Amino acid sequence: MSRAGRRAALAAAAIALVLAVVGALLFGRYPSPGFTDPRSLFSDDLAARLMVLVRLPRVLSALLLGAALGASGAAMQFVFANPLVDAGFLGVSQGASFGAALAMILGGGSFWLFGSAFCFSILALVMSVMMASRIRFGGAVLRLILSGMAVSAFFSALVALIKYGADPLSTLPEITYWLMGGLSGANWRSLSIAAPIAVGSVGLLVAMRWRIALLSLDEATAASLGARPALERAVVLGASAAGVAAVTAMAGVVAWVGLIVPHLARLAFGGDGSPTVPGSALLGAFFVVVCDALSRGLFQGELPLGVTTSLVGTIAFFALLMSRRVHVERG
Amino acid sequence: MEFADVAYRYKGEPKDALAGFSLSVRKGRVTALLGPNGSGKSTALGLGAGWLAPSAGRVVRDGPAAFLPQSERLAFSFSCVEYVVFGRAPHLPYLAVPTGEDEARAVAALAEVGMADKAGRRITALSGGELQLVRIARALVQEASYVILDEPSDMLDPAHAATIGRAIRRLADSGAGVLLSTHDLAFALACADEAAMLRSGRLLSVGPTDGIIEPRGLEALYGTAFELRSLPTPILG
Repeated sequence: MSRAGRRAALAAAAIALVLAVVGALLFGRYPSPGFTDPRSLFSDDLAARLMVLVRLPRVLSALLLGAALGASGAAMQFVFANPLVDAGFLGVSQGASFGAALAMILGGGSFWLFGSAFCFSILALVMSVMMASRIRFGGAVLRLILSGMAVSAFFSALVALIKYGADPLSTLPEITYWLMGGLSGANWRSLSIAAPIAVGSVGLLVAMRWRIALLSLDEATAASLGARPALERAVVLGASAAGVAAVTAMAGVVAWVGLIVPHLARLAFGGDGSPTVPGSALLGAFFVVVCDALSRGLFQGELPLGVTTSLVGTIAFFALLMSRRVHVERG
Repeated sequence: MEFADVAYRYKGEPKDALAGFSLSVRKGRVTALLGPNGSGKSTALGLGAGWLAPSAGRVVRDGPAAFLPQSERLAFSFSCVEYVVFGRAPHLPYLAVPTGEDEARAVAALAEVGMADKAGRRITALSGGELQLVRIARALVQEASYVILDEPSDMLDPAHAATIGRAIRRLADSGAGVLLSTHDLAFALACADEAAMLRSGRLLSVGPTDGIIEPRGLEALYGTAFELRSLPTPILG
């Protein structure tokens, strides 16, 4: 794809995102199921308040969530030189799950839940990196993948332990629902806490987009091209994990976005170079805004967002694999 | 590039992988490292490229080096232009992305190695020889003072090896000093100006390739008998 073609595709994705945001703001079940007539916002005070206090922070949260997961997923895939990893690969998602479950069982409020989920996801990242430095075989990337898997399994076990001991009538459903991911609790306050970290993360990853693609080359090759692979990898992993931790603490575990969206971005914007990270942020935001609107507006009861993204994501994933458009590695 | 009495020992190993190694790599010339497996060739290349630091002695280089390992991880399907344009990284500000001019340079470098018609192809769809040419094009746009290649003709048929040899000669003609390792003696004879022979981490001899690649020297190097036979050799031009 030519440079002009890539620019046009990114602009089209940005326009599609704006349209999706407007559509999602007008879509819901009040005043009637389906799309709201914008004129009713001027005549129906409740509809206007609902728009400003409920739908707007929720749609912006969905946008932020998708952009952070998409950009981080693309960055992680480059850094690990593996197109089949996603943003939660270093135990970040499982760490956040444990932190949230712990806050729920200890009875903390939403601020504590966010803080605990965020801190434990960063702790999981630190544990993965420290364990990787102690593993005595394999290259840097393999060591990180192994330690990330181990840390994820460790925190999954702790979450299972908490669920096992949780009150089955109150805390257990709360934990289970949170783990499915969702933005039903999103409001201006939760958005204002997560936004600075997630926006900073996405901004840094987009600014580093070409350097991140370069990190997918061999360590020695990247170094001879002037990169400092160990330092740059640490910066990218730190930024990705912070963004994912912030949005996961806000919305729970929303699966598949970080894995599938970078593949869609490669198909949409051509090649694997600098458009992949910003393209993944745009498509991730679009994907989650649409999935969230469907989750809350399709049925009378709300579907968990993580369920919707997983259903749509897995279908897209299989479609991609069967179309042989996912190039994994030279044989 | 000067290796002055250089030694290198890998962490936890009882002996040096390379010891007392001295060699000059001159700009505009191609120097080949010959030697059996495990003789220290890759270690010497790593020291020259700067991603290994000598345990003793000094490596002095009056300019940056481009390094082409024997094989590269290809996790993503970059187009040939995207892959070659990575060579511009040392010339761009840290957070800059390549401009249209950088891409034009990449296309010109691909044309120089005879790959102009494949500029838009995915690197994962190339043959081994084509991929090697694309990597050499990347070294061309990097405009490094030195280019270091680990076994560039490995697994290639004679025609592809000759094409790679011509591309390497072009690198030297453009003013770069080239250091490469190879087990392919015909390739070394055709492509390199000088050869250095390494055995068990020690330099046995160094000199012009047509003088040094002879049966007695090779017997001392590889520990097996050689005899002189006439072998048709591709013409590099």
